[in-house]
This record gives sequence, C-alpha cells and structure tokens, in this order.
Amino acid sequence: MDLLTLFWIFLKVNLLSVSGLASIGLLHHEVVGRWLSDEQFTQAVSFASILPGSDALQLAMFIGIRAHGIAGAWIALLGSLLPPTVLMLGVVLLLYRLRREAWISSFVEGLTPAVAVLMLSVAWKLLQPALSLDWRVILLALGSWLALRSNLPPAAVLLASGLAGILLYR
Amino acid sequence: MTPPATSPFRLWTRLFWTFLKVNLMTSSGPASVGFIYREVVGKMMEEERFIEAVGFSNVVPGSEALKLAMFIGYSAGGMGGAIAALMGAILPPTVSMLLVALAVQQFQDTPWMRGFTRGIAPALAILIAMAAWKVFHNGRRIRKRAVLLALLCLLALLIGFPPGLVVLLAGISGIWLFR
Repeated sequence: MDLLTLFWIFLKVNLLSVSGLASIGLLHHEVVGRWLSDEQFTQAVSFASILPGSDALQLAMFIGIRAHGIAGAWIALLGSLLPPTVLMLGVVLLLYRLRREAWISSFVEGLTPAVAVLMLSVAWKLLQPALSLDWRVILLALGSWLALRSNLPPAAVLLASGLAGILLYR
Repeated sequence: MTPPATSPFRLWTRLFWTFLKVNLMTSSGPASVGFIYREVVGKMMEEERFIEAVGFSNVVPGSEALKLAMFIGYSAGGMGGAIAALMGAILPPTVSMLLVALAVQQFQDTPWMRGFTRGIAPALAILIAMAAWKVFHNGRRIRKRAVLLALLCLLALLIGFPPGLVVLLAGISGIWLFR
C-alpha cells in the first residue's frame, strides 16, 4: 500500500540522517523512479533549500504531495516528525545516558563518510550535463561555487541560478 | 535568574510565536539558536536549562529546527510547551512548501519552469557537495580510516548495495573502526 510505504520511507530516512540535506542521498534512491522524476527531485530539494524552515519537513511535503496528494503530504510529514518526537518520549533519556558511551559516537563517526558519499552521488547526478561540456552548466556551477565560498546566502544563490537558467535555456 | 511566573497558556503562546518567527527568518542552525536564546532565556527559562536543552538536541538524530523546538519547548513549559513550540516551527515550512509545490505542479510544463530547474541544478550540486564536505570533515582532522570507509561505501554503492544498508553498515563498522 502506497501510503504505508511513503510513511516508512520518511521514517527511515529521518532516523538515519541528521539534517535535511544529509537525507537526500537516501531519499533520492527511494523516491526517484517511483514517484518523482529526477527533475522533480531537483525542484523538491531546491525549494526546500530556498524556503526558510526545516528542510526535512519541506521535502516531506513536496514529495508527499507528488506521491499521493494531500494525504501523502500528511503521511510523509508524520513519518518525518516521528523520529524526533518518539525518541523524546523515553528513548531520549536512554540516549542521553548512552551519549557517554564510546560506541554511540563511533557509530555516528561511521555514518559520516557514508552520508557524505551519498550526498556526493546526488550532486554528481545533478552535474552530469556538465560532462557533455554544456557550457551553461559549467558556468552556473562555477558561479555558484564562487558565490557560496564568499558566503552569500545559499537561498539567494539557488534562486539566482534558477533565474539565470530561465535566460540561458530559452 | 528565575523567570517571572506566567500562566501556562500565555507561556505556550509565546513559545509558539518565538518558534514561528525563527522558522520564518533563518535557515541555519546556529543563527536560530542565538535568536531563540534572546527570546527565551531570562523570560521563559534559565540559561542553564537552555544550554542543556540545546546540547541534548545534538545527540538525537533529526531536523535541527524541530529538535530545538521540542527540547527548548519542553524545558520551558513541559509537554504543552513542547507541542506549542513544535507547531510554531512546523507551520512556516509546511505552509510555504505547500504553496510552492502546488504552484510548481501548475507550471510544471512551462518552458520557464524547465529553464529554472535546469539552471538551479548546478548550483544545488555545488551546495550539496560543499555540505557533503562539511559533513565529512565535521570540524576535525580527517582520519585515514574515514577515507577508507568512504571508499568502501562508494564501492558498495557502485556494486549495487541499497544505500540505506550501506549507511547502516557504515555506522556499525564505525563502532569497531573508530574505537
């Protein structure tokens, strides 16, 4: 049943990720091809990064609507909200004690390279047109890199890139 | 310093507004903590509890904005406080994204939406790559074992292991590798 799968996916992804952006590796694998095209996934992540507020919730909303309309949005939202709230109810006390245990921080240290690699694989997919030497992609990538390095706000950089795209791809 | 006594309802309303405001303004974690501090410490809770709540929220996985709302809300006003803060935090991202998603759906096939998406893709890729780098190096020196683990994950993914499994196994190997 679609709604159940949707719930489970967002629950899983939010248990294994510490931030909205970190979750995109797993999310991409789960939802692209099933409910979203690559292009729509890009839109989801972009708008989640541009709009203020929790990225994780925004991704849940966008993808949820695509998958199953308003019901999908609620379900995905619930799945994303559950890990932090359920944990708070009792398990969080346990984790607080375990925090001093070496193995918890080692586990997180192990997760880190895997998450980074997954994130890079999504970034790679997004940049693939650059390989066919599409000068526009290269230009936009270089421009954004310089802008982000100079600490311009990410939301503004993304918006600017999108607007430039409207002009470049006419 | 002890905060003045207020009715729980008023406290919850103030918590709701504080977290609503934060989530309308900032996108980043650290900036929002500063803002919340000014709104909350001295007026709704003591500094010590605040620091404790923030530290606590770093242990638990999940969205920064939500955790902050929950733990600070709980610390300041019990279960009611947590719920009020959470609702304030949830409203901006969900409503704004709802509007955007519906708009995108409307304009999906227009050439300018297409152009916008193609234009944003490289910028997004760079943003993600920079974030991935930050995640990887996490404020500390990069250990050789971390690089090794990263390469193993890459290999596993190329072979076709499901990403969820790769992440989980990486965490478990971490327990042994980073003892």
